Amino acid sequence: MIEILKRMLRSPQGALGLVIVGLILLVVIVGPWFAPYDPEKMAPLMRYKPPSAQFWLGTDQYGRDILSRLLHGARATVVLAILATALGTLVGAVIGTVSAFLGGRSDEAIMRTVDAIMSIPSLLLALLIVNLLGKSSLNALLAIALAFAPGMARVTRSVALSVRKQDYVNAAIARGESAAFIVGREMLPNVVAPIIVEMTIRVAFAVMLFATLSFLGLGAQPPASEWGLMVSEARRFMHLSAWMILWPSLAVALVAIGFNLLGDGLRDALNPRS
Amino acid sequence: MPSIHRRDFLAASAALSGLAMSGVPAFAQTPRRGGTLRVSVDQAVSKLNPLVTRVNPEYLVAELLYSSLTRLKVDMSAEPDLAESWTNSADLTEWTFVLRKGLTFHGGSPCTAADVVATFEAILDPKTASPARQNIGPVAKVAAKDETTVVFTLSAPFADLPVTLAYLNAKIVPAAVIKGGLEKLDRQAIGTGPFKLVSFEPERQVVVTRNDAYYDKARPYLDKIEVLVFPDVSAEASALISGDTDLLGTTPPTEFGRLQKASGVKALRLASGQFCNVNFGCDQKPFNDVRVRQALALTVDRAAMVDFVTEGFGSPGNDTPLNPAYRFHADLPAKKADIAKAKALLAEAGYPKGLEATLIASDRPGQRTQLAVALREMAKPAGFDIKVETMPHATYLDQVWKKGSFYVGFYNMQATADAIFSLLYTSNAAWNETRWNNAAFDKLVSEARTTVDDAKRRALYAEAQKLMYEEVPSIIPAFFDLLAGQRDWVEGYELHPRGSVYRLDFVSLGANAPKRG
Amino acid sequence: MSPAYILKRILLIGYTLLVVSLIVFAITQILPADAAVMMLGENATPDALAALRLKMGLNDPIWMQYLHWLGGVVRGDFGVSMRTGQPVAPAMIEALGRSLLLALFSIVLMLAVAIPLGIVAAVRRGRAADLGVSFLSYIGVSLPEFVTATLVVLVLADWLQWLPATGYVPLTEDPLRGLKHLVLPVLTVSMILIAHVSRMVRSELVDVLHSDYIRAARLKGLSKRQVLFKHALRNALLPTITIVALDVGYLLGGVIVVEEIFALPGIGRQLIVAIQARDLPSIQAGALIMATTYAVANFLADIAYAWLDRRIQYD
Repeated sequence: MIEILKRMLRSPQGALGLVIVGLILLVVIVGPWFAPYDPEKMAPLMRYKPPSAQFWLGTDQYGRDILSRLLHGARATVVLAILATALGTLVGAVIGTVSAFLGGRSDEAIMRTVDAIMSIPSLLLALLIVNLLGKSSLNALLAIALAFAPGMARVTRSVALSVRKQDYVNAAIARGESAAFIVGREMLPNVVAPIIVEMTIRVAFAVMLFATLSFLGLGAQPPASEWGLMVSEARRFMHLSAWMILWPSLAVALVAIGFNLLGDGLRDALNPRS
Repeated sequence: MPSIHRRDFLAASAALSGLAMSGVPAFAQTPRRGGTLRVSVDQAVSKLNPLVTRVNPEYLVAELLYSSLTRLKVDMSAEPDLAESWTNSADLTEWTFVLRKGLTFHGGSPCTAADVVATFEAILDPKTASPARQNIGPVAKVAAKDETTVVFTLSAPFADLPVTLAYLNAKIVPAAVIKGGLEKLDRQAIGTGPFKLVSFEPERQVVVTRNDAYYDKARPYLDKIEVLVFPDVSAEASALISGDTDLLGTTPPTEFGRLQKASGVKALRLASGQFCNVNFGCDQKPFNDVRVRQALALTVDRAAMVDFVTEGFGSPGNDTPLNPAYRFHADLPAKKADIAKAKALLAEAGYPKGLEATLIASDRPGQRTQLAVALREMAKPAGFDIKVETMPHATYLDQVWKKGSFYVGFYNMQATADAIFSLLYTSNAAWNETRWNNAAFDKLVSEARTTVDDAKRRALYAEAQKLMYEEVPSIIPAFFDLLAGQRDWVEGYELHPRGSVYRLDFVSLGANAPKRG
Repeated sequence: MSPAYILKRILLIGYTLLVVSLIVFAITQILPADAAVMMLGENATPDALAALRLKMGLNDPIWMQYLHWLGGVVRGDFGVSMRTGQPVAPAMIEALGRSLLLALFSIVLMLAVAIPLGIVAAVRRGRAADLGVSFLSYIGVSLPEFVTATLVVLVLADWLQWLPATGYVPLTEDPLRGLKHLVLPVLTVSMILIAHVSRMVRSELVDVLHSDYIRAARLKGLSKRQVLFKHALRNALLPTITIVALDVGYLLGGVIVVEEIFALPGIGRQLIVAIQARDLPSIQAGALIMATTYAVANFLADIAYAWLDRRIQYD
């Protein structure tokens, strides 16, 4: 574990990714305590202010402090993305591992079906599911998890297939262990590393997907300070104050960049090439 | 002075803005003929059938392709359209309209009294689902006396008939089409309007071309009009600023500042009775208790609301749909926020710990959400815990509008007090979305409708407004000025306070307009 | 590549579409919308509604409705739009054409930019050019389309006023205006693709340049340039084809947002409009057409890959 961390810090991507994601997680945890103002407090006389000593990032169309809103919104934006990815990964990993374990025709059937589902673009699938379930942050989470599951199943299966050929799996089969035991105890733990890499990169996608759903009016609802929603709302006011749209856009991009870098760094660290 | 007269008010507001309302437009010489005008609108033109249109871009297109018996002038009075004159019986229950001679539909077939009768019969048929049914007045029977004479028999005396017959959906369509099925008008247009349909792509553009057989030989001045759909209001304003479009139907306050600054663009502003309201389902808990509605109304800081929702391009409302732009506006004391009183009322109504509710706001126009979020914050200290839910406008129209019990509405100014009351607030209103169903109010409105004496009528309408002011079937926190823009080469265009009347057949292009296909 | 393989792939496309049709049909069945009410409007009489339900087969069991719908789809009949009352298929096909135009321009722009970027980065590995490309590509993949779109509109359309912000003009109607309207959407869509593919080209090329095969070529005395363009590039670009095909899925998703923002009446925007209006036949048709596009793109990529691969082996 320490070894991996060291290797990551040595590569520029890994180091930068760790720093950015670390900072983001810090904001997620303690951000709201450091917010200088109430993120929902309106001030009719303080609207559309540019950045100043009083409002570091300026104010929005209701005179609310943008910095405070970003600090509060980090939770909604980042935590939900991580949860959605984790859930999607879990579902996908189970399907992929089971498919690899079963092999043969069942594997073929499962994977072809997974491929078929993957031919529906994630965003479209998420749109349909959110419409079906009704829009809310929780439903957006489920939709993204479901949209991610097939892709993760594919990745897990290919890793699991190589694991399945390993001796300890054959040994377990020879011992006559139950399928559930083999999949859960022997195979899953060994496919974890590559999956974590894939997952980290997917968190970046999830942040973007969440923001896009909110942007289309299907995720968080006002006056929430989810960042995608902030961008979406700010579009209407961009000619009165460009700052309003700039800051949350940068925040979304920064999170995505952070997780992308971290994912690449992790991959290099876990899979050292010459 | 108990109320400002509409005309004075309009003149005053024009002077105030220093823009718009050129009054008598400055074309001393005759308008230039020819050219293509590009008009932008902010929503799709989904419905082409003029009897069932329901949003401004659809009204705009219907007005180009079809005609009514009368049309609405900028001062909200009626002028001849297909009907060249009309008379009424002394008791106001029988009206006779005489059509122009030699009217033809776009295909060339004649338009006669029979078509007018068939159209109004279709409108009165609930199966047609035309909003005009409740908005053309107490029409009981329509009959053709001869080729060009139509007689309307009313169920009650009614003085406003020539004005209500100009209603947006009361457009004349061929009797033959009605017989064969109105679906025919979903994709093609067979009207008597100044323009003929060339192409129709609901989400993108509608193109119309000059109707040479139009009854007025002088108009229209333009050869062609392209109605372009811009789902993004910001892009719509950009298109006008860059000269890509010539005329912009309506723009939100957030874009108006850019139009004012842009060179070559005339920003148009006109005070109007257009408003956003918060509708209560008055037949459902908790809003069936008048105290709850009053409590919420008491939380609203109306001056701040004008800022938040209209960026200052508007005026505070008093929970009645009439403002000084209407002739029968009653001057009631301006409502003020009073959180303590709101709390007390809420407790009295049985909610001492406050109350939760979900307020639905569609995403178009953006002012709806703006209003909803501001209301949420203002109502918080009084104990209201409001959850705001936004949705795409199309979903809202299908799922919430007229059905929900707590949502934000948005309405154009109507031609008369009667029109707005019987569109939204009487028990038999076309869109009785509040289900307030107040018998006293109904009685006042129907009595005013049949009263000829102006002072008596004014008193009745004042009473009706007072009832709404007190019982708050919906909160009307602010009225909007109409905001729009045009290139300076567009001549003869005037903002119409109705908000959905355009009169583009009076528009022409100046010598400096760009030449287009 | 045997005919049997191609046949198998085609059968797989059939299976894919069957699964997608089931999913899409299931979702649209559960969506809360009464088809009959939507078509007749809210003021329809109960009699009329009942009659229409009977006529539309809405009283049949679900599986029969599915088979009936599927039968229509096979014949190219996707039903009638609840919103416009017009047949769905022609409108969707027309919209697809516009989306494909957008996709085509984006892919061409992507190839023109991403491959040279990838080559430069690989050849100058670890130096400023590599880091620069790498930095840009991280930003590229990390900006959601709606952010990119908003920024390009703000800068290129509003501040500089070089291009129209939104709208669509068919190329057949006015080629110059049509192209102008396509520039911003194409820029937005290709941004992520460029970022993604340039990274791929770079890493493939880096791998290839370190392979024994290239070392052998260098030892034979070929110049650096010859090695790069004659041998390395071909091998490195091959996997790129697959990546581009897989990106089509992402492209289609991105197209939804981009078309919505730029008011481009392609299939993505049709789908959004259909979803908002609960226009079930249009949703079904749109989703199925998107999935078909993806499946066909992947099929073609596989065929192209196999074909090119063979040529390289025998070269």
